[in-house]
Amino acid sequence: MQQAMEIKSAVRQFIAENVLLGVHQTTIDDATPLVTGGLIDSVGMFGLVAFLEERFKVEFVPREISVHSLDTLEQIDHLIRKKLAAQKPEAPDGGQQMR
Amino acid sequence: MLESESVKSESGAPESDTLSDWLRRTASATPEAPAIIEAGLGEKDRITSFRQLFEQAASLAEWFVEHGVQRQDRIALVLPKTTEAIVSVFGSLLAGAIYVPIHPQWPKERIEATLADCAARLVIESDNGSSPRIIDRDTRGSVPWPVAPSALTEISKLGSLAPADPCDSALILFTSGSTGRPKGVLLSHRAVSAFAKWSAREFHISAADRIACPSPLSFDLSTFDIFNMALCGATCVLIPGHCVWMPRFLVQFLRDAGITCWYSVPSILAGMLEEGQLAKYDYPSLRLVLFAGEVFQGHNVSRLRAAVPEAICANLYGPTETNVVTWCRVPRGYDGSQPLPIGQPCSYAAVTVDSATGELLAGGDSLMTGYWNRPEDTQRAFVTLDGKRYYRTGDRVSRAPDGNYLFLGRLDRQVKRRGFRIELGEIETALASCEDILEAAAVAVEDEKAGIAIVAFVRRRSADAITLVEAKAHCARTLPLYMVPDQIVFLDAMPKGSRGKIDYLDLSRKARTLDHAAGHGDQERSPAVHR
Repeated sequence: MQQAMEIKSAVRQFIAENVLLGVHQTTIDDATPLVTGGLIDSVGMFGLVAFLEERFKVEFVPREISVHSLDTLEQIDHLIRKKLAAQKPEAPDGGQQMR
Repeated sequence: MLESESVKSESGAPESDTLSDWLRRTASATPEAPAIIEAGLGEKDRITSFRQLFEQAASLAEWFVEHGVQRQDRIALVLPKTTEAIVSVFGSLLAGAIYVPIHPQWPKERIEATLADCAARLVIESDNGSSPRIIDRDTRGSVPWPVAPSALTEISKLGSLAPADPCDSALILFTSGSTGRPKGVLLSHRAVSAFAKWSAREFHISAADRIACPSPLSFDLSTFDIFNMALCGATCVLIPGHCVWMPRFLVQFLRDAGITCWYSVPSILAGMLEEGQLAKYDYPSLRLVLFAGEVFQGHNVSRLRAAVPEAICANLYGPTETNVVTWCRVPRGYDGSQPLPIGQPCSYAAVTVDSATGELLAGGDSLMTGYWNRPEDTQRAFVTLDGKRYYRTGDRVSRAPDGNYLFLGRLDRQVKRRGFRIELGEIETALASCEDILEAAAVAVEDEKAGIAIVAFVRRRSADAITLVEAKAHCARTLPLYMVPDQIVFLDAMPKGSRGKIDYLDLSRKARTLDHAAGHGDQERSPAVHR
């Protein structure tokens, strides 16, 4: 299980290195709006989601990919922790809806 | 046959033929058929019938008129592509107004400048998918969305609204301007109608179709789905905005929503082919895949062809100023070894080539009226040949022996990124507006992953005047994110030619030596950088 700090700092690092704007990580705090604040556009968001899936071995379903659940580090952290916790006993539907 | 149906009343007499009339007629003919479906993807779909769509749009139009909106006033829609946004489109048109779609993710400064430029009377906006509100730009007053889910305006009513003329303007699409200010492309009902009717006929669009187009309303591709819906009674299936971020969800959407016609920029299809593994599944409903907005690499076109073997695939070509003017069906056995042509003229289009420069000139019914509020740019954009008006596309073409046009490149410094049109000059103007920046030059280089990468070279007032982060943040305050340079490189001196002009060839060479594979690579590694 990843610690909260690790999730946030990994995302911070990812955004600093990969997102178009290249904003230095110290300028992003836990509540900085990433999408609604114009830091990440749609392609940047796709990259972020792909990164989260790979890094934390989780899989998103469509309803989770929204501005309301992924706009801040706080929200991302919350969502990832929820997904990791849900995986622990038995991945319920695994999120894979494409079969 | 579709066309004759849509322009003749039952008595056979020609009716007024505007985009809003189409909705009125279809809502009368098939009131309970689904006009818009907001796909829930695992959640419940939201369905709006033609009757509901018309009633809501009409009730909004009445509200507009009651609040003083005059014919050809501008109503700005700063909205994602939702049911309410489409209600707003038709509400504006029914009121005889011009709708101005503006991407809600544009920087605030750019949105404000655009609203001022088009002198929008009203602005419809929403926060994060909440119900929209209407702002009166004169009084700064804000009112909540005035439309009830089942509005009371009946289809037969609306006598109070002035009938629009087909020559009236229907919308303004703002696109990148080389001098640093977005240009508004003014399009009439007739211009939009030319493309919609042609595409309906050519691709046999009918009430059985479910059309999906992930482009925002501010993109000319969005005239295909919403106006074919109104014209043919087809269903416009809206993709949840967030799914455009995830190719695999787009692929899922394509299957689950039973989409029959798809229209998007090639970049989105490329993502669906690669990350979305489009070829892995079957799409029994899908019969048409259209793409436009940028060059689709041959190998990806052939992958698409193989992934959806039953569907007709076609490349549509045309700048915002003309909408689609040429098109080419992807041949069955296309192997991608040769670039796909932009094809032959659509029936409503007149196309010719300036023999001196190879520039494609495009005329015909779909041509824009002009640039909003820019008479000089408008004059420069057109050329008259044999009494006919043609738009100078700036695209260099050649003609193959079979009559197909081939796109060779640009005559100016416009580039396309993910289908978005970018004037490099606009990026330079944005950078140069920073007081710490003395000179800026932007170039585009090919990038394996992103298609193209934009590199901006900047000469600063002094070495500690501005940091890379500040320079990027400065861009992001005025430019949409797709225009923010991937890399900014500080130079002590700009390379200049003998006449003192910036040597873009030299800068392009420099840009190609940079490590921009990540799109955002580590600047400090590059020898060309002075920090």
